[in-house]
Amino acid sequence: MDKYQEAFLEEAGELLSELESALLALDGNRDDTESVGRAFRALHTIKGSGSMFGFDEIAGFTHNLETAFDRLRTGQMAATADLINLALAAGDQIKNMLDEAAGRGIADQSRGAGILAELRGLTGRAETPGEAEAGRPAVPSASPREAGSGTARDFRIHFRPAPDVLLNGTNPLLLLGELRQLGRIQVNLDLTGVPPFGELDAERCYLGWDILLTTTAGLEAIRDVFIFIEDNCELSIDPVADAAIQDQPAAPQNAAAASNIRVSAEKLDQLINLVGELVTVQARLSELAARKDDPEILAVSEEIERLTAGLRDNSISVRMLPLKNTFERFRRLVHDLGAELHKDVELRIEGAETELDKTVIDQLNDPLVHLIRNSMDHGIESLEARRSTGKPPTATIRLAALHSGANVLIRVSDDGRGLDAEAVRSRAIEKGLIDHAARLSEPEVFSLILTPGFSTAQTVTGISGRGVGMDVVRRNVEALHGSIEIASQPGVGLTVTLRLPLTLAIIDGLLIRVGDAHFVLPLANSLECVELTAGDVREAHGNHVANVRGEIIPYIRLSEYFQMGTARPEREQIMVVETDHGRYGFVVDQVLGDHQTVIKNLGNLYRNVPAVSGATILGNGTVALILDPHRLVQNAVQTAAVRGRPEGRGARHSNSHDRIHSKGKTRR
Amino acid sequence: MAKVILTVDDSASVRQMVKFTLCDAGYTVVEAVDGLDALTKLSGSINLIITDLNMPNLDGIGLIRSVRSNTAFKGLPILMLTTESQDARKQEGKAAGATGWIVKPFTTQQILGVVKKVIG
Repeated sequence: MDKYQEAFLEEAGELLSELESALLALDGNRDDTESVGRAFRALHTIKGSGSMFGFDEIAGFTHNLETAFDRLRTGQMAATADLINLALAAGDQIKNMLDEAAGRGIADQSRGAGILAELRGLTGRAETPGEAEAGRPAVPSASPREAGSGTARDFRIHFRPAPDVLLNGTNPLLLLGELRQLGRIQVNLDLTGVPPFGELDAERCYLGWDILLTTTAGLEAIRDVFIFIEDNCELSIDPVADAAIQDQPAAPQNAAAASNIRVSAEKLDQLINLVGELVTVQARLSELAARKDDPEILAVSEEIERLTAGLRDNSISVRMLPLKNTFERFRRLVHDLGAELHKDVELRIEGAETELDKTVIDQLNDPLVHLIRNSMDHGIESLEARRSTGKPPTATIRLAALHSGANVLIRVSDDGRGLDAEAVRSRAIEKGLIDHAARLSEPEVFSLILTPGFSTAQTVTGISGRGVGMDVVRRNVEALHGSIEIASQPGVGLTVTLRLPLTLAIIDGLLIRVGDAHFVLPLANSLECVELTAGDVREAHGNHVANVRGEIIPYIRLSEYFQMGTARPEREQIMVVETDHGRYGFVVDQVLGDHQTVIKNLGNLYRNVPAVSGATILGNGTVALILDPHRLVQNAVQTAAVRGRPEGRGARHSNSHDRIHSKGKTRR
Repeated sequence: MAKVILTVDDSASVRQMVKFTLCDAGYTVVEAVDGLDALTKLSGSINLIITDLNMPNLDGIGLIRSVRSNTAFKGLPILMLTTESQDARKQEGKAAGATGWIVKPFTTQQILGVVKKVIG
């Protein structure tokens, strides 16, 4: 017996006492409607709760009595001594039934039947709950979402709730949400019912929806969604014949698959370029419209802005490809290398459906080949070595892709011998890459293996180990504006994470101003924007940290970082950005707003400026540099931490070479 | 923040079942034993009322009417617990402004399904 049943039995006992006292009061005063009401309610609750908790017999018996008292209540019957006596007897019978349910004694069923027969004699009616309540689902929406036919069908649904629908607490949005759970939906808003602004009543719902639903659920299940308001709305649900859907723009996926067309990648690139130009021109139009402040031009400009954004997203999505093909190709590589090296290796692929810009995917093959070769050759031990360390003889290489903001992370991990941070460190010192005194964190130590000519392998094999692999990987990934992170535990394995941008063409950016130069930060990394007052700066005692709602956030003042020599304004703003190194703030003079950013390459001369990933042209024709927050922070961290730099005297980590001039206007 | 549901029923066992079910699903539950009690416990933080119809002092229909007559709760979703034999009462409740109903006997899945339907 569960806790609800126990609670019910206890409660039913109390209700029976209530019934008895009501009946006795009624016996004293036959016109006492109050007592009739009390008796009715007690019976009603016993019946209702009884059926709730599985006491169907008690509920069924009580139902007959309840019916009689309902008729008393509504004056269709008078309270007689016989009825009251019978009801008292019935109460005793219910008590016996309750006792039986609780495991105490047995109720005499023939007595119960006798009472019911007598009751029928008094009321002149035969009624059992079975007849009254059979055949209908207990709860409207809870009827199972039965699969109508097993295959998906399309329904065209027209739904327009009555204007006062909001007043009884109905939320039409939830109903649309419920429909969405049934299958794939395409919703068109019908605004024809919206009155002129002056007549608009905020508490009334003027909207209608035309919905195309593709679902395996049956008509009944769809109807059930609207059950609470079916008599308070316009509703039509019509199955759509299959032929008709083919003409729909949102045709189901199987139809779409059949109508694929092959387009040369070159044409796609051209399309993206044109869209990029369009976005730039649109930005100019928006600025012009804002300056003219003419409502008609503003309206057109807003429309174009919306269309351009749609066009942009669409054309970029055309260039997106799943990583599946690229990933699957490595199965063969792993198989062949395994045979050559006498190692038993299984390649596990995860997140192969992750999509990435085609141009990024194209350039990803070489670095991944290098990484997998390295793992197979150096990372994974020989069969004997694995056995002696108690590892499973079959080694695993995981190739995984996942989304992270505007980036895609690609991880190559193995369960081999891993990297020894000390070994890497001493090798780097030996090679003169770092100073003896340099204090580097573990990821920084591991990143040393990405420097040209660095190799910890003792032997050179035909597969890898010439010390050229990893720096090639780095160069490739950096060409894609990506970054590399290495994590390892000696004896357990090695994980290399490539962080790559989703696309190289157009991104959503945040436009900021420092002095009279503009910059763009990728919006996907930006968390929030807060003010930095002179008081905040004083409180930090010269440290570049800010207190953002209790959280200490280190920041980089861009005007200082780029040595722009501009005067510091009274109030500055901090853009808080999520980076590989945690949250960082960038202090700027002003945050101007979001900006559709068409990425233009800076060309080879500026390749080695690490903090800048490209440039874009603003509406007024000015050039704004696109900042790479990860590398900007990385640089700042490294210049602070590294005494001897891991590289030669090149420009890579030198702050002073990042001096930026971006005041030149492009001529059009 | 957890949504707050006011459950109104004179049957302690039904209240208990409703409360356990809803609490398990992450809702916060306030209990009332009848319509009058419910009116004293009604506040701006309530997101949904689930009320029985037959109750002493103030019944479910009366409760729905007084809630709807208060402009502050005009759009507050209200579910009523009915039995299949109470079709007339159900209509009365709808006319008074109930958002929907749950037919007794119901299972825990059914009540969660309907609650989700009206407050998401």
